[in-house]
Amino acid sequence: MRVTRLLGFVLIAALLGLWEAGAHAGAIDARYLPPPSAVAAAWWGFATGGQLAESLATTLASWAQGYAIAAVLGISLGTVMGFFPVVRAMLATIVELLRPMPSVAIIPIAIVLFGLGDPMKRFVVAYAALWPVLINTLYGVLAVDPLLIDTARTFRLGAVRSALRVILPAASPYIATGLRISTSIALILVITAELVASRSGLGYFVRAAEQAGRVPEVYAGVLTIAVVGYLLNATFVALEGRVLAWHRGLTAREGV
Amino acid sequence: MQRAAEPPLVAARLWPALDWRALSRQALGFATLLAVLAAWEIASRTRVLTPQFFPPVTEILSTFVALWQNGVFLPHLAATLWRMAVGYGLAVILGIGLGLLLGRWRGLYDLFEPLIEFARPMPPVALIPVLILLLGIGDEMKIAIVAFAAFFPILLNTIDGVRGVHPTLLDVARTFRFRAADVLRKVILPAALPQIMAGLRISLAIALIVALVSEMIGATQGLGYFVLQAQRGLRIRDMYAAIVMLALLGYTLNALFLLLEGRVLAWHRASTGQT
Repeated sequence: MRVTRLLGFVLIAALLGLWEAGAHAGAIDARYLPPPSAVAAAWWGFATGGQLAESLATTLASWAQGYAIAAVLGISLGTVMGFFPVVRAMLATIVELLRPMPSVAIIPIAIVLFGLGDPMKRFVVAYAALWPVLINTLYGVLAVDPLLIDTARTFRLGAVRSALRVILPAASPYIATGLRISTSIALILVITAELVASRSGLGYFVRAAEQAGRVPEVYAGVLTIAVVGYLLNATFVALEGRVLAWHRGLTAREGV
Repeated sequence: MQRAAEPPLVAARLWPALDWRALSRQALGFATLLAVLAAWEIASRTRVLTPQFFPPVTEILSTFVALWQNGVFLPHLAATLWRMAVGYGLAVILGIGLGLLLGRWRGLYDLFEPLIEFARPMPPVALIPVLILLLGIGDEMKIAIVAFAAFFPILLNTIDGVRGVHPTLLDVARTFRFRAADVLRKVILPAALPQIMAGLRISLAIALIVALVSEMIGATQGLGYFVLQAQRGLRIRDMYAAIVMLALLGYTLNALFLLLEGRVLAWHRASTGQT
């Protein structure tokens, strides 16, 4: 690691130190910006009291379920739209109108349909995470080298097998991009749903702490959410590298 | 994560030169949309769909028109657009400015990298409760959260764009003894512009989403406030009309941006020989 990068961590430590000192010296209003030590203590209470595990599990479950629905729907619908021009033409206008709509606008409809519980969160996450997967899969399928498709046809692979063995693997880098964008969008939406209308999860914990004036807990909750975001992203990047390693190898040999 | 430029719209050009196949494709698209809406209308009128949850499309549209005519929508729309514009403007200035510096000087980037890498994947809406503590529930909080959320895609795309500038351009600038500020302004900024524009477009969508969320959580005005209040008050027609409004707003902002991007980058395509 280069020296300057190490300095980056020193910078963070210095900022935290300044914050701590400022809060103790009264330069920072500790009522609204409690020192890192107080936040750490609040986080420890949050973790050992069992509330962390419970909130985290609820949030991650809604995230994962909604994301899985979006992935399956997005990839299959995107493949069908990429494969059949008629289907693509039929759905283009609807997709074009719905996609630029800010995804959080679906939350009120989800509440009307599902109430305030986990199904509402799942629906909201699935809706928002669908679009990047769908669009990227569609583009991936459209970008598949026609030579591959012709080869599959020559070997009489049939529609389903050519989709599974030729089209989807060839489109996988695009699909991975869609899935990666969707991981973060899904997290934003589950936290939003919990902040706006819910009784459980990390977002609700933060919102409830803020309304009750338990300030250090607000920061502890936000910190937890930031770590979750960081880890989800890091996990995805690592997975993507492994899953797509063969693809890079293949295209590298072809000199593409 | 927000770094990847999204591909263009499915049918980016609505009206290309008279091309019968393209026209028939579009006709098919509109026909499908109309069929879905007609099915909704009939299902709602015959109570196959619960009209309390899914009012007929025609009633939603008449509510939409009425809300405009009674002047209900305008102040909410203005409030949302104002917060969004100020926050987005701040993000553009800070994101491009810092992005140019961090992209140009590697050491500076390394210094801030841990901070950026940790803050970037955080869902920005999680900061809204913190900002409520620090700034209250007024416009300042909403502008701050919009600026924070819109900042990162612009920053990261600008950094990438600056790093991708062709070394020859920099060599030419050095040959002509450009000062550092002139190199940034006259050579690097224009060359990195396509990537910067990609960041600006992603951020525009994010700015709208975050502005709406901040209004859903704490506000007395704005479309996000309106749509959630309509739901809570069980004014379902108002709620759907507001959602139609949000879809239109998102569509219009995106379309305007594409128009602007096309103009801004026209010289770029011409000078690099791309069509």
